[in-house]
Amino acid sequence: MADSTTGEQNMTRLGEEGVRGRLERYRELRITEEELAVALLTPVMLFLLAVSFYPIVDTVWASLHTGYVIQLPTKPTEFVGIENYQRLFSDGSFWNALGVSLFYTFVSVPIELVFGLGLALLLKADFKGKYFAQAAILFPWALPTVINAKIWAWLLNPNYGVISDILVRVGILSAPYPFLSKPDAALYAMTSITIWKTTSFMALIMLAGLSSIPDHLYESARMDGASRWRQFRDITLPLLKPTILVALIFRTLPAFQAFGLPYGLTGGGPGEATTTLVLYTQQAAYNNPGPTNGGFALGSAAATVITMIALVIALIYVATLYEPEVR
Amino acid sequence: MSLIDSARETSLEDVALWDVGKRLGFYGSILAMVSISMFPVFWILLSSLKPPSELFVFPQEFLPYTIAIQDGQPTLVQQFPLTLENYRTALQERPVGRYLINSAIVASATAFIDVVLGAMAGYALSRLRFPYKLQVLLIILFAVLLPFVSRLIPLYKLAIDLQGTAFGPFFGLNQYLGLILPYAAFQMPFAVWIFQAYFNELPASLEEAGLMDGLSRVGVLFRIILPVSMPAMATTAIIVFIYAWNEFLFALTFMTEDSKRTITVGIALFGGQFNSPWGTITAAVFMSLVPLMVFMLVFQKKIVEGMTAGVGKA
Repeated sequence: MADSTTGEQNMTRLGEEGVRGRLERYRELRITEEELAVALLTPVMLFLLAVSFYPIVDTVWASLHTGYVIQLPTKPTEFVGIENYQRLFSDGSFWNALGVSLFYTFVSVPIELVFGLGLALLLKADFKGKYFAQAAILFPWALPTVINAKIWAWLLNPNYGVISDILVRVGILSAPYPFLSKPDAALYAMTSITIWKTTSFMALIMLAGLSSIPDHLYESARMDGASRWRQFRDITLPLLKPTILVALIFRTLPAFQAFGLPYGLTGGGPGEATTTLVLYTQQAAYNNPGPTNGGFALGSAAATVITMIALVIALIYVATLYEPEVR
Repeated sequence: MSLIDSARETSLEDVALWDVGKRLGFYGSILAMVSISMFPVFWILLSSLKPPSELFVFPQEFLPYTIAIQDGQPTLVQQFPLTLENYRTALQERPVGRYLINSAIVASATAFIDVVLGAMAGYALSRLRFPYKLQVLLIILFAVLLPFVSRLIPLYKLAIDLQGTAFGPFFGLNQYLGLILPYAAFQMPFAVWIFQAYFNELPASLEEAGLMDGLSRVGVLFRIILPVSMPAMATTAIIVFIYAWNEFLFALTFMTEDSKRTITVGIALFGGQFNSPWGTITAAVFMSLVPLMVFMLVFQKKIVEGMTAGVGKA
């Protein structure tokens, strides 16, 4: 952050006026730091303005207007105030989707966090074959969500699924169970699949956090006779807090925006049992794009609500977990 | 034998026994985790090699061969024949190769843009002094919090509007850039963050030396800083590449022509909703997994290192 100033302080400490003068001269001759900063940052800022900030504003704007007509892009839309929101909030499917998304997010993320931390503690050790084990364990994280959905749709197939097969063999089930055709079971299955996939991502982040904790803290704790559990509670957990904050934000926001998994696994069904908010939004926007009714306007309203909830979730995390003095 | 000696002996034995137990538990857990992670892939591979008659039976066969004792000799007994038929059908029915190439183009270009622009911005935010630096950093990081879906509809409308105009090739439907530009923007904050964290760790003397040797600031950037930032570049490239390879919502919306679809969309749209040709689906899925598995084996160390640099020092 303040590296350039540290550099100059070093030089002043050296007391070499000549060096300083030469440095200043080069700065004058070529380009100032500010100019360089503007040149280096402009592309990124333009990018974010065009593809991140403008669309958000446009989504909010569109949510206050009648639908957009694809065939007649020039036809002006009409301002309707909060009408789209009224329609959204009186739609039972919207509230159902909100419930599905909240359940999916707030059940899967804490479990992933605990499993991921355990896995990271396991992977922290050096052992034979670590390289392959780590690659295999991290593989689910790299797996495309929608392909993951296809894989599990086959593994959980109502008639020939291997999960049923295994459960029958060990005696838990007596016949194949149609996990994805029962509303409750489908939601639990979807949540479990995401835990399977993302625990490895959590482990990755936790591994990074663990490796930033200096070893000498553990050494001195051991010399003081602290048990493993004490070391974990009094060193690992507090120092891991910033990592946990990052992990929670990194996982909660995508989980709240789940789309590929329900799309590929169940298509949102049975009924609407696994229709998440984003799946609802996508269906609202693209499956009924009438000129005045619903369509992009309703989709935009739903997207705006998702944005608001995501920001509130992020804010709550930062407010409860952020400790500026830790680092 | 003195008291001390015997005490030392027993405690050593105990330690050894405890060690063996601990080691067994440790390797057991690792093995369990590896199995849980990789079993679905094994099952997909096995299913893709099964003939249709074996695919739709219950219970399923877990191995193509078993070992039985015949006439006192252990012999391999075939449970079912392995076949590549599903792969042939998958490749004939759908342009799986095309999908993979499309994904590779989109993901590589996205990674390239994020590495270049992320390094530039990360350098400025880490090493240069300028007003409103913190505000700029916060604006960039804030973009991470914005849900993708809230950017989908406006960008889709834009793509429709630009269709057929001079901007069509940059941001129309069925254009690679139509995916590359949004993906690059979505991952940009992450790239900037990795580079900024990495540059923060570099000693200031590096640049001073360059400036004193007569290089300009820009010269320092290109001749000194960029060459030493290879690790950050690799990490950013890998993580952005995986993101772009995996993305689904935008790819589904923007690529309506079959020949432009990425692998995720191609596979998601394989087969109907009610009558799924699982033999060919599993073959296509396995083909899509091979590059990823190679990728993970080659780059996992870089990924872990990069996370350490980016997240650990957040």
